[in-house]
Amino acid sequence: MLAMLLLAALFLPLYPLSAVHNALFMRLNGLPRVLLLLIWPQIGVSLLYYAPKLIPAFTIPNEMVIWATASAALYALRLLTVRDLGLWAAMLASSALALGWGLAANGSSEQTLHLFVFGFSVPVALLVLLANQLTQRFGAAYAGLNGGLAISHPRLSGMLVLCMLAATATPMFPGFFSMLKLLQILDWGFGLALLAIWLAWSWAGALMLQGFVFGTPSMSKCGDLRTAGSLAYVLVLLGLSIAGLILMGGSL
Amino acid sequence: MNITANLIPALPIVLSLLSAVMATAFSSRLQRRVARLSVTFSALAFAATLVSLALYLGRGSVNWIGSGLLWGSLYHDALSTIMSVLVAGISLVVHVYSVRYMAEEAGYSRFFTLLDLMTAAILLMVASGDLVTLLVGWHLVGVVLYFLLGHDISRKAAQRYAFWTFFTYRLGDLPLVLAAVLLYQAYGTLAFPELFIRLTAHPDVTVLFGLPLPEVVGLLVAMAAFARSAQFPLHNWLPYTMEGPTPVSALMHAGIVNAGGFLLNRFAPMYVHTSSVLHLVFAVGLITAILGSVMMLTQNDIKKSLGYSTMGQMGFMFVECGVGAFSLAIYHLIAHGLFKGTMFLGAGSVIGDARRHDGVPHDDVYTFVVERQPVPSRMPWVVAAVITVVVPLVLLGLSHWLVSGNFVSQQGAVILLFFGWVTGAQLLFATHRLRADSPLRLMSMIILSLAIVVVGYTLIEHSFDYFLYPDRAISAGLYVAASVPLGVFDILIGVLTAAVVLGWVATYYTHANREMFSGRIAKLRLMLYSLITREFYVADVYGRLNQIVLTISRRLNMLLRWV
Repeated sequence: MLAMLLLAALFLPLYPLSAVHNALFMRLNGLPRVLLLLIWPQIGVSLLYYAPKLIPAFTIPNEMVIWATASAALYALRLLTVRDLGLWAAMLASSALALGWGLAANGSSEQTLHLFVFGFSVPVALLVLLANQLTQRFGAAYAGLNGGLAISHPRLSGMLVLCMLAATATPMFPGFFSMLKLLQILDWGFGLALLAIWLAWSWAGALMLQGFVFGTPSMSKCGDLRTAGSLAYVLVLLGLSIAGLILMGGSL
Repeated sequence: MNITANLIPALPIVLSLLSAVMATAFSSRLQRRVARLSVTFSALAFAATLVSLALYLGRGSVNWIGSGLLWGSLYHDALSTIMSVLVAGISLVVHVYSVRYMAEEAGYSRFFTLLDLMTAAILLMVASGDLVTLLVGWHLVGVVLYFLLGHDISRKAAQRYAFWTFFTYRLGDLPLVLAAVLLYQAYGTLAFPELFIRLTAHPDVTVLFGLPLPEVVGLLVAMAAFARSAQFPLHNWLPYTMEGPTPVSALMHAGIVNAGGFLLNRFAPMYVHTSSVLHLVFAVGLITAILGSVMMLTQNDIKKSLGYSTMGQMGFMFVECGVGAFSLAIYHLIAHGLFKGTMFLGAGSVIGDARRHDGVPHDDVYTFVVERQPVPSRMPWVVAAVITVVVPLVLLGLSHWLVSGNFVSQQGAVILLFFGWVTGAQLLFATHRLRADSPLRLMSMIILSLAIVVVGYTLIEHSFDYFLYPDRAISAGLYVAASVPLGVFDILIGVLTAAVVLGWVATYYTHANREMFSGRIAKLRLMLYSLITREFYVADVYGRLNQIVLTISRRLNMLLRWV
């Protein structure tokens, strides 16, 4: 049972096993990074719900929830001083996805946990795509290096803001309802930790935005995100919000 | 009729949202005309709130409008309709003002989009019919405000203070989330009407460590309100938001910062079942009122001075809630919103005029108030003192007796009367030596003005109380929840009286004998002045805490090799 739990903790990442996910993430580029963010945690969820079929006595002990909360808090705290958008997205994913253990331990269905993971993975994956766009234009997606995007690249900065809000569980995105669901089922001690983690995400998100969206615009001549590209981001986020409202918001 | 009645309360929110979407979608095609679009929608939203108010007055009962989901409902009651009218009205004025004020700024259409989104978020917040919708609106106000305050993206100071505001607001969001979760866990419903019915039927539910639920949730809701309404020690973001555009300052000080008072009123049926939370609200409000007013007096920047003035006013609003006068807090926030909005929008003109000419009127009022040159006493000091102390007492007593015979049985009402009495007495005492051709006529006019203000205020406030709380049991229950044992109350009144009288005596001696404040006392005064100008070092403490957290984060990342 322990081996199964550890295997699941590798995919639904808990520190220090999450280091594998993050190291792999840093080695990859472009689409493979996005796929890693989308698929890797889903494997973890499947493993968690496949385990009882292999081991009938399989349960998730409370210690795993404590470990998951501590891991999520560790990554939330570390987010505050990360400046590379790609790494920031990976760490946010490590923090948010770890919270899925709380849902699993409290008897949520496999579908709910898949949706929970999906709701957090998609905005983070979009952030990674935006980090690629920034790297193509400026050589790096590093906060504070090329600020003032709101003036020089309004569409790119607009999408960055929306994805950041979605990733940090702002209403009307699914993450917000997932956090409410978690708070509803967890004990108050975990609840308080969860609120602190949520606060750290917002804090880190605002710091990240200050380094990209605000500041003096750079003199770079590289173009903004194309209208069709922006529209695609908006449609994905809109779809995610609507799905979140129906699937998560309607079943709190 | 039913469909219309259900749609009208949602219309202002939909119109504001639609305006934001259209302003974004057609910004490149419309260019500067985007402002016209936004103003038009804003006017329509305001009209819709007026229709909604008329609808409520016509029906005379509350209407809960469900969405089909567990959340997304609207509550069409007195509180939501009056707040919607206020918010939409102020938003319309700010929209119109911004058309020219923001014309030279970069991101013109972005500004109007954000303004529309802000209006929609506040309207959603005040009209929310369930806990989750309230959380969504409450949360979104903080997010949109961050971008509005940081509208001038190249100004570092604007970014810094927008971030302060955002962080404080997020800090305040969390207790409200916890309160909502606790209420849902205890009563199994999100909808406000049903929630309050169940809470009233079973107020004895306990939560953490066996503590009574209304007490714990009341405290959490109050904490959320403290952060939103800049109560000490969560106040230091407010005066610095002046770095944002002036229309945003006006909207914020007139509509957004008042949200704390609204929140307490929304949960009023719950506060009826509390026993000590309102005392904390009173204490925090009083401290904030005093500190805000003191810090306002030490400012030499007109906008920052207005910011601290808002802080003081918010303090008074919480004092009113703390004594059980919840409806008075709403009345106060409406009045404050209107005059503070006017002041902000007029601040630029005042500064501009002052640069062209000093604007000193050189009349008797100016000589008396600013230059502090009173006429020699024209009546014995004791007679003046008796008039100034007795007249306001009689006026206040009579006017309150007129509307409610048993008002002295409510401690909260007595405290408010006490404040009114002291203020009235101070007004009379301060003005009786104003230079005038006919001193008797002057004093008569002053007393008449005071009588009109007191009687008008009392009548309006009592009518407003009936409007907001037609269920009189809630209004009476709030006064009971705010009351303290009679002995404690008497001591409190005694201390307050002593503080006021000592203040008067100290002021009198300061003017009469300035040498009294030399030597050691002068040093003490200087220290106190330094403390006030450094804003009690609250921002420095937060700055240090911020640095500590960031240092831990940085060291952790280095230790764990950034994976």
